[in-house]
Amino acid sequence: MRNTMKVAKWEIKRNLKNKTFIIGMFLTPVLIIGFMLLGNTFGGSDTEETQELTTVFINDQLQLFSAIEDTVKTNDLPWELKQSDLSEEEVNKELEDTDDTAYLFIDQRSLEEGVIRAYTSEEIPPYFINQAQIVAGPLQTMQMKQLGLTEEELATLSRGVSVEAIASKEAQETVNEEEAGADPLKRIVPGAFAGFIMLSIVFTGMAIFQSASQEKKDKIAEIILSSLTPADLMQGKIIGYFVLGLIQAVVSITLVLPIIAWRVDISILQYLLVPELAFYIAIAILGYLLFASIFVGVGATMADVSTAGNFQGMVMMLPFLPFIFIGPVLSDPNGFMAQIGSYIPFTSPGVLLLRLTSLEEWPWMEIAISLTILIISVWFFMKLAGKIFKVGILMYGKNATPAEIWKWIRA
Amino acid sequence: MNTMLTVKSLGKSFKGKQIISNISFEVKQGEIMAILGPNGAGKSTTIRNIMGIMYPDEGSITFHHSKGATIPRHKIGYLPEERGLYKNVKVMDILLYLAELKDYPLDKAKQRALDYLKKFDLEGKEKVNVEELSKGMGQKVQFIASIIHEPELLILDEPFSGLDPVSQELFKQEIRNLAQNGTAILLSSHQMNLVEEMADRLFMIHRGQKVIYGEMTDVKMEYANFKCTIHGKNNKQDLAQLPNVQRVEQEDDRSIIYLSKDVQPTTWLRQLPNHINIQELTLNRISLHEIFIDIATDKNLLHEEGVEHA
Repeated sequence: MRNTMKVAKWEIKRNLKNKTFIIGMFLTPVLIIGFMLLGNTFGGSDTEETQELTTVFINDQLQLFSAIEDTVKTNDLPWELKQSDLSEEEVNKELEDTDDTAYLFIDQRSLEEGVIRAYTSEEIPPYFINQAQIVAGPLQTMQMKQLGLTEEELATLSRGVSVEAIASKEAQETVNEEEAGADPLKRIVPGAFAGFIMLSIVFTGMAIFQSASQEKKDKIAEIILSSLTPADLMQGKIIGYFVLGLIQAVVSITLVLPIIAWRVDISILQYLLVPELAFYIAIAILGYLLFASIFVGVGATMADVSTAGNFQGMVMMLPFLPFIFIGPVLSDPNGFMAQIGSYIPFTSPGVLLLRLTSLEEWPWMEIAISLTILIISVWFFMKLAGKIFKVGILMYGKNATPAEIWKWIRA
Repeated sequence: MNTMLTVKSLGKSFKGKQIISNISFEVKQGEIMAILGPNGAGKSTTIRNIMGIMYPDEGSITFHHSKGATIPRHKIGYLPEERGLYKNVKVMDILLYLAELKDYPLDKAKQRALDYLKKFDLEGKEKVNVEELSKGMGQKVQFIASIIHEPELLILDEPFSGLDPVSQELFKQEIRNLAQNGTAILLSSHQMNLVEEMADRLFMIHRGQKVIYGEMTDVKMEYANFKCTIHGKNNKQDLAQLPNVQRVEQEDDRSIIYLSKDVQPTTWLRQLPNHINIQELTLNRISLHEIFIDIATDKNLLHEEGVEHA
């Protein structure tokens, strides 16, 4: 065990001193942040376009301008209000050369007939006339005042009539469920967190692959093995890359989390620090151990990453298998595909995380079976990888064929 | 001298083919013991079995001075035949890592590493990346790595391969030094001249089996008879009829006459007949090199000798 820790320490130190690794470690979160911000800038410019200001000149003969200004402000209309003395004949000429401009005429006639005449330029936002209806408010108030109504009558009238929906019992229930809508978030946040940790350590774990075959390429395996056993070396690599993966995850999270917290109005930490998180992370670690042992074993059978055969290439794809299940599991977290996914060791960590975060009631029986399968597989593949690693690591200059590997396993 | 390592009737086969069989020898404290043999004779296989990198099918390997059945890895230094170093690390880092794996105190290891780097003309290279070293420099670093923890038993598999004569001399001296300071050294090589100069005892192996085993001086006495090389046109029959001749080899104008063990060089030279055409004549002992070639090419010189001396 001491030797294992020495190897682990060495692998960590070696990678942390490696520029490529350091750059990669910081590039991942920077890319995530970059894409997040990029999306936001595009989104931001979209809203700005609709926010383009319309210049509205008002020929006001009733001293309603300040009342209209207030209304526009409270309704947050994208208007720039100006007063104007131009007559209706002059306005037509003026409008010929301008865009996004409108002239509103509010005079005695408007008060009597209840019509505000609006002249607009050819280019005008499509909702302008709808927006302009708001100006009718101050005018109406004025009309009513002229009719000599008391303040009380005025208030009743201006309140208007509206249809109010009284929620039935059923509807109330849905409202309650919506309140519980905070609940999925409670599960999704730690689930997504664990999923992120798993992906990040599994991907770093793929470096084990390279590390094991590098050991052969550099021809140092025999020197190392004169000091320790193949099992020490293999376990050291698995633990070392596990820690490296965690470092990667921590770096990413410390960089990305504040930005998410700043961009999204959810108190993430509150959702994150729940007991489920420990369980999710345990699943993530099991997933890592499974893939790490497979990678380290297969890595030892290859002379060089660039000469990986079909067999080795297929093994490399195993961590991506859960992606096949994402669709079916999300559409039916208790469905057939979801169940199958949780019973296949290669997909079960991913599928389990997915299901547990989307399910209200946890199917404890299935979880237990799935975890048992997973733990047995981890143990089994560790043993298997140990056997392959022991022989493979000393085989220089050629890739092992599946037939050869089978023989080592049986030996 | 204490015996450090005993190998007893070691045997190993791959895919039903016997690679080595019935290999037995000892390595003692303070001596240089050489395993000789042509390529594929089983030298590296023997060494890998000793190091526990392979497991023997039969026979036993005993490390004296160590308790228990496990290999005392911390007391052994090993320079394998297939060797290299991690590429993207600094020289000092890897030396310290290898010392740490042997549980050797790091401050001591650092001092030793610096001393040895200086000794091998690599002063100031401790912070250089391994990939920037030349092949020869790399070999020196590997050698330092194998002795940095003051091993009691040092196993060197083809230590001289790929070295220039200057570096070979450096290695030879250092290996001798180590032996004088009490390290038991097991050395495999196919470079006979070097081995002949250095080794105290030798074990010659061919096709996985023992051919010669013993003290270097004894082996030389026993096998390295006189041979006489004559340049000039001569009849093979004439030469074969001379006294004390075992056999004659002829190639163009050059004849090599292998003499028997009990020949008296002066008397033998005196009785050479006058009609023999001599442009040039040398009389010397058969070198280890020739014995080795004989074995490797199955000329059976040794076999004849062996029968005679059996």
